[in-house]
Amino acid sequence: MIPVRRRAYPALLILVSIGLLALAAGCLGTTETDDYPPWNLTLLGDTEIVLSLDEIREMDAVEGYGYAVSTVGIRYGPNRYRGVLLTDLLDMVGGVGKDDLVYVSAPDGYMWVFDAAQVRGEELFTFDENLHEIPSPPLQVILAYDCDGKPLAHDNGGPLRLVVISETPDVITEGSPWVKWVDKIEVRRR
Amino acid sequence: MSRSAAFLAVLGLLIIFAAAAGCTWSDQERTPLKVVPAGSLLYPFEQIEAEFENQHPEIDVQLEGHGSIQAIRQVTDLRRPIDVVAVADASLIPDMMFIPMGEGEENYTDWYTPFAENEIVIAYTGRSRGADEITPENWYRTLARPEVRVGFSNPMLDSCGYRALMVTALAEDHYNEPGLFEEIIGGAFDPPIRPQLQDGMITINLPERMRPATDKVAIRDGSIYLLSLLDAGGIDYAFEYRSVAEEHGLHWIDLPPEINLGSAEHADYYGKVRVNLGFQRFQSIGSERIGQPIVYAITVPRNAPHPEEAQMFVEFVIEAFREERAGWPDPLSPEMRAVSV
Repeated sequence: MIPVRRRAYPALLILVSIGLLALAAGCLGTTETDDYPPWNLTLLGDTEIVLSLDEIREMDAVEGYGYAVSTVGIRYGPNRYRGVLLTDLLDMVGGVGKDDLVYVSAPDGYMWVFDAAQVRGEELFTFDENLHEIPSPPLQVILAYDCDGKPLAHDNGGPLRLVVISETPDVITEGSPWVKWVDKIEVRRR
Repeated sequence: MSRSAAFLAVLGLLIIFAAAAGCTWSDQERTPLKVVPAGSLLYPFEQIEAEFENQHPEIDVQLEGHGSIQAIRQVTDLRRPIDVVAVADASLIPDMMFIPMGEGEENYTDWYTPFAENEIVIAYTGRSRGADEITPENWYRTLARPEVRVGFSNPMLDSCGYRALMVTALAEDHYNEPGLFEEIIGGAFDPPIRPQLQDGMITINLPERMRPATDKVAIRDGSIYLLSLLDAGGIDYAFEYRSVAEEHGLHWIDLPPEINLGSAEHADYYGKVRVNLGFQRFQSIGSERIGQPIVYAITVPRNAPHPEEAQMFVEFVIEAFREERAGWPDPLSPEMRAVSV
């Protein structure tokens, strides 16, 4: 019958579309993390530990909102980030004493230094949407690997980026500590 | 309306749309020109963008502000396709870009054009402590008062930050006021930061973490946060570029040319002061900064995606800066040009 034949094309189209969507959504076993070359994080403290991305993903995770601002006022976010607490990573190499400094670096040559309070999310400056300074709510510093439910994109510092998170999406933090492409974290005793 | 009248109306509309489409440029047709200026250039570059696009509607200027070093790193370390780079410290271009793009390759650039100059001032509001007493002659005594709060941007991140330290160290020498640096800035740190005088050089060694131990000094990532703090009364005075203070409608104190980093005549004296940053933030540039006049410079990276349009934009910028405009860095004097190339 002609009507049945006419309906066959839309049905075929729907099937093909579903197949294409499935491919695009990564339903055939490929995840976005597979696009990254192997990535290791070196932790240096009392000992040296090298963690793979998979090992970091297996650690206890935390989530929160990250919203950064650049030195000239460009805002990035807010986004929902997931990762591991910086303090948890540092505890694996002996923790951080109150006078110690933590050097976080990346292969592009960027480095930032945190003191013990900042590692815990304290004494960081926070701003409202108008970039007016506000009293700091509770903050956490994490090594993030997911953003908005997806693996962190390379342009956003993936696979691993230092991110300052808060419980609400309206807290902006200074962007300078948000080190992209982190591959080394070192505790220097003082 | 008859059918023929309706047809004519639709036809007329179609003709108008077609004509309009021929006279304007869609986003897809316009050539995107990625321009990365230093933070203190953003305000003038936003005006230049509008004027340039008015003359060249086929080009879409896309501004992306960064600190000067970060602006250059977008091209070098981060390998992004950038058409124009403009920085607040001319010496950074030869230091960071006159190097090969790769082994056996050409340099990122081999030229730069200085195009503007600036100076450091002390910005404040009518509510700042001592605002009714401060003058160009006594400013340093006002800032040294224990209850007066002073702000500057982070020297690790912003050239205005390390220049604030240079100005204060030069002031101690210029006014022959031993201990002045410590009274205004250094004493707020634990341990205190004290300039060291050796072999005719004044050296300021900074700690890894620029965190003051008292409320006397406030340090923020960039100028805009200091302005916000100044407005809210969190600080009384801020070290700023003169153009930035003017752009934001602040009061300011002009400093003597001997110390304001805005005079070619005193370039040798500025060179007496050196700031050693607490750590090397970037592998591509060291952690030592030497005092010199504040000169802005612009270049087109060799691997710019649109070199012809970029060159047109550079020439437009140079021409625009020949004229003095409120809130802009000053036109470059022949003397400053001579000390910057």
